[in-house]
Amino acid sequence: MIRIEREAWDKMVAHAQDTYPNECCGAMLGMIDGERKNVSVAIELDNAFDGGQEERYELRPEDLLQADREARRQGMDLIGIFHSHPDCDAYFSETDLKNSCPWYSFVVLSVKRGAFDHANSFLPNAEQTAAEKEEFEHPS
Amino acid sequence: MAKVLIPTPLRQYAEKNDSVELAGSTVGEVLGSLTGQYSELRRHLYSDEGKLRSFVNVYVNDEDIRYLEKDSTPVKDSDTVSIVPSIAGGRRGD
Repeated sequence: MIRIEREAWDKMVAHAQDTYPNECCGAMLGMIDGERKNVSVAIELDNAFDGGQEERYELRPEDLLQADREARRQGMDLIGIFHSHPDCDAYFSETDLKNSCPWYSFVVLSVKRGAFDHANSFLPNAEQTAAEKEEFEHPS
Repeated sequence: MAKVLIPTPLRQYAEKNDSVELAGSTVGEVLGSLTGQYSELRRHLYSDEGKLRSFVNVYVNDEDIRYLEKDSTPVKDSDTVSIVPSIAGGRRGD
């Protein structure tokens, strides 16, 4: 299961709302204790998709490399990735699945008419053919 | 020996190490040493056909090896090799 602390959550929601109507993306840092993941830091990253960002996002690997270095510097782990779905639900789309990585949790935030609506977390498989919903706790 | 940084979710397959020092004069040799030492890592980094999985990028220090000499990119003792995934997506295509 994945739990997100208040400060990190507020930053994720603000980033998703600030970038509306485009999709946002970012990294989640924290600690892993067995099956339990706790996110205490969120890092906003650039959506590097070259095209219509209202329905696509792309992370630069070098930005993710920097996020991983920051996690190591703070004695934390890179736990997951977040991105937003403007004006639709927080599902894991075929595009999300085909461009995913099974190592991380993927939190999707639904933003409707500019305001946060709901969110889900997913764990994609290595073949990029399916993603299971992950138990997920976040502040209201 | 080059230093290889292990992403958090893969450390369970590398005796919980967050980095390992490995022999090799190219990226291919260093990754070969890595999966030789920790055989379980292999299936997480490589497909059944033996190719690096599509979402796996390898960096030597700050350089993506796709823009250098790929597997043949030279590695020095002072270099750090990082394994970084490609990640993208979008709401369309549900």
